[in-house]
Amino acid sequence: MMNFTRRGFVKLTGGLTALGLVSAPSLSAFASAKKRVVVVGGGYGGSVAAKYLRMADPNIQVTLIEKNKDYYSGPLSNWVVAGFRKLEVQKWGYEGLKKHGIEVVIDEVTAVDPAGKSVTTAGGKKFEYDRLILSPGIGFKALEGYDAEAVKKMPHAWIAGEQTTLLAKQLQELKDGDPFIMVAPPDPYRCPPGPYERASLVAHYLKKNKPKSKVIILDPKDKFSKMGLFTQGWKNLYGYETDKSLIEWIPGAQGGKVTRVDAKSMTVYTDMAEFKSSCINVIPPNKAGDIAEKAGLTDEKGFCPISFETFESTKQKNIHVIGDASAATGLPKSGYAANSEAKVCAAAVVALLNGKPVGIPSYVNTCYSLISPDYGISVAGVYKLHQGKILEISGGVSSDKAQDFIRKQEALYNESWYQSIMADTFG
Amino acid sequence: MQRKRVHMLMLAGGLLGGLMMAVPVMAADPAPAAPSAADAEKAAKEKALAEAAAAAPADAAMLANTCAGCHGTNGVSAGPSMPSIAGMPAKYLEHMMAEFKSGKRPSTIMGRIAKGYTEEETKRIADFLSKTKWEPVKSGPNSLTATKIDEAKAKKGKKVLDSAKCGKCHEDDGVTQDEDTPRVAGQWLDYMLIKMQDFKNSQLTVPQPEKMQKAVEKLSPEELESAAHFYAGKK
Repeated sequence: MMNFTRRGFVKLTGGLTALGLVSAPSLSAFASAKKRVVVVGGGYGGSVAAKYLRMADPNIQVTLIEKNKDYYSGPLSNWVVAGFRKLEVQKWGYEGLKKHGIEVVIDEVTAVDPAGKSVTTAGGKKFEYDRLILSPGIGFKALEGYDAEAVKKMPHAWIAGEQTTLLAKQLQELKDGDPFIMVAPPDPYRCPPGPYERASLVAHYLKKNKPKSKVIILDPKDKFSKMGLFTQGWKNLYGYETDKSLIEWIPGAQGGKVTRVDAKSMTVYTDMAEFKSSCINVIPPNKAGDIAEKAGLTDEKGFCPISFETFESTKQKNIHVIGDASAATGLPKSGYAANSEAKVCAAAVVALLNGKPVGIPSYVNTCYSLISPDYGISVAGVYKLHQGKILEISGGVSSDKAQDFIRKQEALYNESWYQSIMADTFG
Repeated sequence: MQRKRVHMLMLAGGLLGGLMMAVPVMAADPAPAAPSAADAEKAAKEKALAEAAAAAPADAAMLANTCAGCHGTNGVSAGPSMPSIAGMPAKYLEHMMAEFKSGKRPSTIMGRIAKGYTEEETKRIADFLSKTKWEPVKSGPNSLTATKIDEAKAKKGKKVLDSAKCGKCHEDDGVTQDEDTPRVAGQWLDYMLIKMQDFKNSQLTVPQPEKMQKAVEKLSPEELESAAHFYAGKK
């Protein structure tokens, strides 16, 4: 009864507001003043920004421009590489976002005109904006010998899709006894624990299918994300640091840095040695996606400096950069951080377009990794902006004393994390 | 409190400096400040963190939307092992968060997250989520892992919860929710199965209202499992 009355009241006031609008002389002015936001890139960052913009203010006209019809999630794609998940379940489309009133355009943005506030596409279309949100993901910096041909022979599989399938196939075809060689990237890069999760799951595959083979990680770094938990898991499951270890990690200090690759002879070179195999996974140094560089948004490190409050570029006005392409110092380059950045950015853009003060941001990261299909670990963080810096108020990694049932639960939560964050992104 | 801690650190730094002064080689060093500089930096960092933690809270939507990555948009979870928290009573959500934060309630990840929020921030999150609309959970198009509801188990479950008088709190077959009782009807089965296992896990102490604790003690793992099948099937 209570609810019915309340609903009746809302209807009544709603009606009055509509009447008020009709009688106001500025109705047409109101319509033409509709603000336009263009979002470029429909992944973990861009799709969420587009959706949350519309959820917060349905008066904003939102156009999402994405070059691929289908999106393949990077998170959980290591499971596909290791052969216990189908690529199909990593695939998402844009129908759900259209239901939020977002105009979805499948086309590639080839140029940004910050002065004219417009973008143009490969399809020859031009889109004007009041504010532009770029979420272009990553591109790769040069690595000697790693050209377009080499990408097909030594897949990075760091942008999911065809590349994932290619690496999975190479692993399937690997001769028992030959190594799976991974060239790990230097900081900063997309998905900090990703290479080590991949090494773990490939080791899991080898243990079952090719026990004479092993994973060799050639790393320019001397430490990595969730390192304690990974090495603990590797010792538990893969004989790490024994002569039968399924994983060998060669850090930078021991000559792990790869300086050159040769796809013809399937060889990678460090300063001290060369490594050959039929299966080589090269993850080159990362930078912001190409369009960010073209638009003049990147710094000397290849990423986009931004305001932590609004994610507006410090180099170009009215352009915001979120996700892996942004230099959000303090936050990791993870899918969850991209989701969180998108929401901070969307709220700020709504405020800015409505002439209101920008609110206080709040950011979260939650990221799971598998060491085997039923051995999960996580890292989480709650962050606040304080005196110009993003600070981690609380968080950290799973306990190194966690019992087996906890590791198993975290493995289950990993897949559920994926389902919920994908629903939040595309639903 | 924070000031006290800073002083303690400075004191410790002073003591350490004093010890080093006693070493003959160091005695000639006019600047025994090196170790205390590191301490000062650490103290400054802690101070900034404490200030940031206590700083003005973000608005409710900003705070609560960060939960959606795991618990789904507006708290409607799409992951079978993640509970839907849409429309849950604010008091219940606050209570859970407080127990996660203090460590009283065991968790894999929520303890680490709950510690990041002040009481006021938690209250805002809980208020926001309590006003979102509960929706029956459903698997996403790409879901592989959701356990199917077993009708025979659900039927048995109904008998179990009738005899254990679960309906005294979980009224209307778990549909109703009040201040400290969450809705269980239509919740994810996998999530409830994990919780049932936790209740019976001797390695864990899961805090419960007295009545719930007594009921759980009397029921076997199989009986609890069947109750979960019943509630999950109830929309």
